[in-house]
Amino acid sequence: MKQQDGGQYKGFYKAMPAPGAAVLLLLFLVPLFFTLSTAFLSEEGFTLSRVQQTFTSAYTIRILLFTLYQAALSTLASVVVALPGAYLLANYSFRGKRFIRALTTVPFVIPSILVVLGFVIFFGNNGFLNQFLMKTFSLEKPPIQILYSFKAIILAHTFFNFPIIMNLVSSYWEHMDMHCEMAAWTLGARKGKTFRTITLPRLLPSIISASTLVFLFCYNSFAIILVLGGGPQFTTMEVEIYRLARTSMDSGAAASLSLFSILVTSFLLIWYNKSQKMLARSEAYTTSTKRLDKRPATVAGKVLALLYSLATSLFILGPIASIVVRSFMASTTRSGAESFSFRWYRQLFAIERGTGHMGSALQALTNSLAIATIVALITVPIALTMATAIRKKGFASSSLELFGMLPMTVSSVIIGLGYYIISNRIRGGVSIGYTLVVLAHMVIAIPFVLRTILPEYRKMPLSYAQSSLTLGAGPLRTFFLIEVPLLKGAMITGGMFAFALSMGEINATLTLANSAIVTLPVVMYRLIGSYNFQGACALGSVLILVCSIVFIVSELAKGESNGR
Amino acid sequence: MTKHRNYFAVLAILLVSSFLFAQGAKESSSTNNTITVYAYDAFCGDWGPGPAIVTEFEAKTGIKVNLVSAGDAIEMLIKVQSEKNNPIADVVVGISDDMAAKAYAADLFEAYQSPSLASIPAFLQFDPSHKLLPFDYGNFAFVVDTEKLPSEMFPTSLQALTDPKYKNKVLLIDPRTSSVGLGLLLWTIEVYGEQEYLSWWKAMKQNALTITEGWSSAYGLFTEGEAPLVLSYTTSPVYHVTYEDTTRYQTLLFSEGHSTTIESVGLLSSSKNKEHAKAFIDFLLTDAQLEIATANSMYPVNSTTELPPAFDWAPKPQKNLSLDAATIEKNLDRWLTEWTQVMSK
Repeated sequence: MKQQDGGQYKGFYKAMPAPGAAVLLLLFLVPLFFTLSTAFLSEEGFTLSRVQQTFTSAYTIRILLFTLYQAALSTLASVVVALPGAYLLANYSFRGKRFIRALTTVPFVIPSILVVLGFVIFFGNNGFLNQFLMKTFSLEKPPIQILYSFKAIILAHTFFNFPIIMNLVSSYWEHMDMHCEMAAWTLGARKGKTFRTITLPRLLPSIISASTLVFLFCYNSFAIILVLGGGPQFTTMEVEIYRLARTSMDSGAAASLSLFSILVTSFLLIWYNKSQKMLARSEAYTTSTKRLDKRPATVAGKVLALLYSLATSLFILGPIASIVVRSFMASTTRSGAESFSFRWYRQLFAIERGTGHMGSALQALTNSLAIATIVALITVPIALTMATAIRKKGFASSSLELFGMLPMTVSSVIIGLGYYIISNRIRGGVSIGYTLVVLAHMVIAIPFVLRTILPEYRKMPLSYAQSSLTLGAGPLRTFFLIEVPLLKGAMITGGMFAFALSMGEINATLTLANSAIVTLPVVMYRLIGSYNFQGACALGSVLILVCSIVFIVSELAKGESNGR
Repeated sequence: MTKHRNYFAVLAILLVSSFLFAQGAKESSSTNNTITVYAYDAFCGDWGPGPAIVTEFEAKTGIKVNLVSAGDAIEMLIKVQSEKNNPIADVVVGISDDMAAKAYAADLFEAYQSPSLASIPAFLQFDPSHKLLPFDYGNFAFVVDTEKLPSEMFPTSLQALTDPKYKNKVLLIDPRTSSVGLGLLLWTIEVYGEQEYLSWWKAMKQNALTITEGWSSAYGLFTEGEAPLVLSYTTSPVYHVTYEDTTRYQTLLFSEGHSTTIESVGLLSSSKNKEHAKAFIDFLLTDAQLEIATANSMYPVNSTTELPPAFDWAPKPQKNLSLDAATIEKNLDRWLTEWTQVMSK
């Protein structure tokens, strides 16, 4: 009996997610358990009163509502901006497409302080855009005053996040067949109606999947909200948790508030899981990429495509280019005027003796590259094995998915406290430091890699694996010969995200390695802390370049795997 | 049943690992000729004063120093406290005066009347019991971009800064998320007292272009020319003079006086190597002063220290203001809440 229902392989599928779960448990859940447990501890022992107070306080509720509001609005704006781009990327082939895809990871790898700076250098009152407009039209005052308001928060969040949605949705879209749309056209539906009633609902799984990431990002946003928003009227949960944990040093209250925050986001994730599963089952699956039209057919289409490309390029390239431009500036004269200079790059590549922290920049670059490569190579298979288990129906798989997403819902301040517990307990040399940093980066990358692999995996009919098993292939063979090749594209994208996230990570690296390991963001952070902003921009530019190269290479690899 | 078994397994793993974590790694304390020094991260890196000082000290005295980078001041205190039964460190470097109450409460430090205290001005010796000894200090101040603001517009006092002519010209920092931001909050309380400080902030609200989460963002916006005035330290221009050879950015001295932040070093009462630890503290307060001041961009406490010429651009205030640690400890949370209420309106 057992032989027939494939029960003999149950153990295999159950064991699959074990390595991923173990990493998450040790580096994330156990420390989190300790940090959060302080919410229930007082000098007299166990108490519920603190949690009760947090959960019912009007102040907490108000902050929560604002946090949710700005995150929802930012996500919506990101989706609206991203969809046309996803359409272009998925349906047309044009020159520079790979370059655009590569650009999409850039906001990701830059530490948020540099994102804020890049934004200000470009959009600021004294920024490039305003200076250009003021010179061209001989204006007295800067014409574009969008920063330091609620609008600026949404704008910056959109800049930061729409590329993720564009990337994830377009790669899903590319693999969707056009049969339903064609049928609709044949039956006389107009293009707009077809899109609204057929394409959009079919895209929903990927849109929701990407939006969840973006929402959680904005929910936990910190520097962007305070600096660009303009002040304390825009207080989010993260700011309040930071205040309680670090400034008021009330770890119990901080734990209690983050517990509240985690519960709210977990509810959202559960809702998301439900909708995701429902939607995924209805989608037909195609293994081939549809043939792409060369370019838009009508003149109007061409103009619109061009306008959109120009606008988004300006939007996304502006702040990035600002960082690059700044990195070539150095003041060398008494008057303080800045001029073009390779000074920071000469110091970075040790052609010239580095001033201050610049001395450790090259070491940091090699460290970052090594760590990020290892993280990408390990995280992808681990997330893949988790996805295999999560794809199955049932309570256990839902919990595992929630578990895999959990690192994204927890405030970085609280995660930082967790790392602190780890680094205090596990002492050792530099090699242990490296191991811990790699593991911590994996914890951060797993949710992203899962989010790229899962929608593709869910779309794949179970019948593929079932027929393979029926035909006598074992589960390992089925996994490696059937499922893995079909998921190659998603795995490459996921690996790229893991690489980029690891390249840009700072908190875990600083805490866990006790500053014995320098990475690019760590040196950048120190340069900024000691007044050298241009040097930090130079390192940021190198970070941008490295990630763009890796991404273009991975896009090429994907292209080949699709047989194009 | 199987389902439940899984959950029990998870619980068991949680319990076992919590036991492992609670046990932790136990290292034996230092041997006779070695002392262990905990310092905050920025002190220990290649860029900080730590490594150079340690090399010099070891060469001079033959005492080995194990310098451990132990997070920030709060984390160091927690760390020392958690090791109370199994002490590792002998000296802790980098507890600031406004944090002192926490250190006193934990009762970790032993008084040490260092002979070098004679060369340290009284206003810097914030701890009369000499458990925490000052080794450097700084003053919060507003720095001006002389190319963006004509000199006749330079504000001369905190009060003058509230003038509407500075609308959107000042970059402030949030006291909830930054120690520099907290410095200004305390500065206003020192100048105006608890009754009046909020009216200063109310008046300043219009003048602040933005209130950033940390010093880095504020100063970055400042050097990008977004606003001509920024909250920082009196010593900030030193970097620009030393590395960029420019005097474009200058410190403004205010007539009310300036809030002071003092960093201190303490001898742990649990130390088994007190003589050597004391030698290290003496060294910090004398020979190491110049290195500390330049690397940390702070003032030396020892009045005999000769500073490089760039420090001429870091004028010392006539009047140093400070609040005692106990008052801060008692009221800080309330002040932050009041501040948030006023500034959110």
